[in-house]
Amino acid sequence: MGTTTKRLLNLLLVSVVAGSTLAACSNNNNEPKESADPAATTESSDAPAETAAFSDISTTIRGNKAPTQEQMDEVNNTLNDTYLGDLYDEKIPSHYDAYPYKKDTTLDIWLPADSQIPEMNNQVVQKQVEKLTGIKVNFITPPVGQEADAFTLMMSSGELPDIVIEPERYPGGLEAGVKDGAYLDLTDYMDKYAPNYSEWRNSDETRRKTTVTDSGKLLGFYGIAPYSEWMWFGMLIKKEALEKTGLEVPNTIDEWHTFLTKAKEVGYSEPLNYGSTYGQIFTGIINGAYGVWDWTFMDADGKVQWGPAQPKAKDYLATMQQWNKEGLLNKDWATADFNQRMASAISDKTAVMMDSPDTMWSYWKQQNNIDFVGALNPVLNAGDKSATTYKNFKRTGRSAAITTQADDVEAAMRWLDFAYSKKGWEILNYGEYGKVHLVDETGKPYFQPDSYIYKDPDGQPVATTLVKYRMHSWPDIRDEHNSNPLIVAEGSYSGDIRKTWTENMDTSVAMPPITFTTEEASREAELGNQLSTLRNEYFAKIVKGQLPVDAYDKFLSEAKKMGLDEFLSIHQAALDRYNAR
Amino acid sequence: MRTGQIIKKDFRKNWFAYVLAVPVIVWFVVFCYGPMWGLLIAFKDFKPLLGFANSDWVGLKHFVDFFQGPYFWRVVKNTLLLNVWGLAFGFTAPIILALMLNEIRDGKFKKVVQTVTYMPHFISLVVVCGMIHIFTADEGVITQLVQLITGKEYTSLLGYSSFFRPIYTFSDIWQTIGWSSIIYLAAMSSIDSTLYEAADIDGIGRLKKMWHITLPQISPVIIILFIFAVGGIMASSYEKIILLYNPLTYDRADVIASYVYRRGLREASLSYSTAVGLVSSLVNFALLWVTNRIASRKSDVSLW
Repeated sequence: MGTTTKRLLNLLLVSVVAGSTLAACSNNNNEPKESADPAATTESSDAPAETAAFSDISTTIRGNKAPTQEQMDEVNNTLNDTYLGDLYDEKIPSHYDAYPYKKDTTLDIWLPADSQIPEMNNQVVQKQVEKLTGIKVNFITPPVGQEADAFTLMMSSGELPDIVIEPERYPGGLEAGVKDGAYLDLTDYMDKYAPNYSEWRNSDETRRKTTVTDSGKLLGFYGIAPYSEWMWFGMLIKKEALEKTGLEVPNTIDEWHTFLTKAKEVGYSEPLNYGSTYGQIFTGIINGAYGVWDWTFMDADGKVQWGPAQPKAKDYLATMQQWNKEGLLNKDWATADFNQRMASAISDKTAVMMDSPDTMWSYWKQQNNIDFVGALNPVLNAGDKSATTYKNFKRTGRSAAITTQADDVEAAMRWLDFAYSKKGWEILNYGEYGKVHLVDETGKPYFQPDSYIYKDPDGQPVATTLVKYRMHSWPDIRDEHNSNPLIVAEGSYSGDIRKTWTENMDTSVAMPPITFTTEEASREAELGNQLSTLRNEYFAKIVKGQLPVDAYDKFLSEAKKMGLDEFLSIHQAALDRYNAR
Repeated sequence: MRTGQIIKKDFRKNWFAYVLAVPVIVWFVVFCYGPMWGLLIAFKDFKPLLGFANSDWVGLKHFVDFFQGPYFWRVVKNTLLLNVWGLAFGFTAPIILALMLNEIRDGKFKKVVQTVTYMPHFISLVVVCGMIHIFTADEGVITQLVQLITGKEYTSLLGYSSFFRPIYTFSDIWQTIGWSSIIYLAAMSSIDSTLYEAADIDGIGRLKKMWHITLPQISPVIIILFIFAVGGIMASSYEKIILLYNPLTYDRADVIASYVYRRGLREASLSYSTAVGLVSSLVNFALLWVTNRIASRKSDVSLW
């Protein structure tokens, strides 16, 4: 070996050693790192009587309609929750001993933003959570409409934030994400770092069952409601159309046909707005009458079935083809987007929408003063009970997962856990005390008439303030029925419609939130994608009259050839595992 | 030894030229040859977070998946047909426009026409597709025009698969015709004017001059561009397709690129998309080679 080469090698060696020493030094500058094994760290004492530290302020806050600045500060800036009542069957936990968090950290959080709030980092509720938890957050939001692409690109880059909201976007779901090294398995950390979440999810059998994997693992924080939320989607009729036609709210398919024909006669040129961004023509409303559900459902024997392959599909398609030919449906149902649909909804063409009563209360009643009523899902024969595949299993809002690249797992969990405490519940659902909400005599928060929700200083409508001054869809304990301003606003009847729907429809066909194994998931996604393309194409063309109804036979044989049976058996296996949880 | 000496001598003489070439060579190695290793993920079940080494080898699984998929023939056929339409109409349109512009003597009028035809090139694709949606809606201008000509009743034209290819191709022509004609106009401006003078003396008419002088003179440019166009026949961009298609038009609008977009980017099967991309590139290369061969045999014009 030549001297020069030796020297070069030595130089290289020295620089490598120096480099690693420097790296080690900079590590030492940090706070001692939390050990990855939770059993190895000593438990920070879980004070049993943590609320005892707060003085009871319920007498001054409850029923107070004009709180002083001092009182507002006490509620908004401290963790004192003594004034909040216990409103649900189960008590919301209040473990606050981890806050303010012991060290200075900033969490990076990826989430798809609401189009109304493009800059999440200025959201007032999140600012308050930051203050109360002592954990700083930096939200990373992709451009609205490009979330799916942005998510894939983030995962492909290998650079992950600390927390991902909507982590189920990972192909194959959360379990695949854990297996591929994107997310952390939180099973061992939950009791220790997320006492509120753990207590809340174990407070009820449905909650426990829908937040754990088939193999008993806890992979994320799920939005968990205090109750099963009302169904939110169905047939809505303009009141004026009922008056003009002089007909009752229709129930059977025949009655609907009579009603729509009459509506057309009295001037609604395209009475039924048929299209929907929630899955084009497959809204599970009219087709449900024929048992031809949009996608998978559970039959009377508890077996998984695929709606489009049910025996009465041809009847359904023939009827829709007929309605389309008679001009009862909007002409552009196959191509219209949300804005086009809303534009025709408020025009004189439309008499009936298939949509959410909350949305229509905003677009119809609030913005255009059009009154409306809800109708139960149509049935085939008089006397049948309306049914739906939608059922809320107390799982709601959004989910969150912690990535493998999170620097401080405890901080991430503590931050998420706050949303499942009583204080977190109040702030996330009802916003800031004083400006946005007050608390009534029973300890229940409510939006007072001059709340920022209804009287925004910036003059924005309720559809915007509901995401501006509170969190609408979040990994938290969502109190939809009492804190959704579209429902509780004075004069709003959208909640009544949703309640009536929920109480009067049969949900035995609804599938629970099942999960697939990693192997199943990729095959399920592939087959599901092919089957949905096939269904969308054939059904749309038949209803439009571009294909005869008999083309359905070809559709069915192609679906079987693609692997419909395999698709169903994957779902069946997942359902069986869910039932055994 | 002799070659070695020649190189050494040449290097001593022209060393500066070699140094100047280094950045280009580095650029090619880093950006063109380096990434080729990435093609290997077509044979793996690549998971970005596990890294290349820890992802499983799956052999030809993704290729088999693609060839045996239920929509394989449809997307291949649609890709080819859409590009054939593009070649037949989209490729010839700028040539015709350039020939016509070349015949215009009035400078002002010519400039106005050129500017007007360039302009759509600068409009964002999303906006163009938004315009197409409006014009082909139920009461859109184009829909009404089609109804007038055919005498039939139509709702939104984008809801009929038979209209998809015309809408796609002709909106493309509208957008690119001016811009693409520039290169032909440039080629025409370099034609030796003595040819036209000789033709004038012989008393040859304008159409004949176009046919016998202008076209043959710009034919090398046309042939080269045609070879390139054929080489891109398997590749069509997915952006415009996914902005325009819907379930009613899938059977003619779904192409390889949009299919791969749905599977690759939406479901993050990076390996699958790479496999399909590799197949498309190979087919493109084969077509490029064959066209080039034919061109060089028949006309002496070729890429290499």
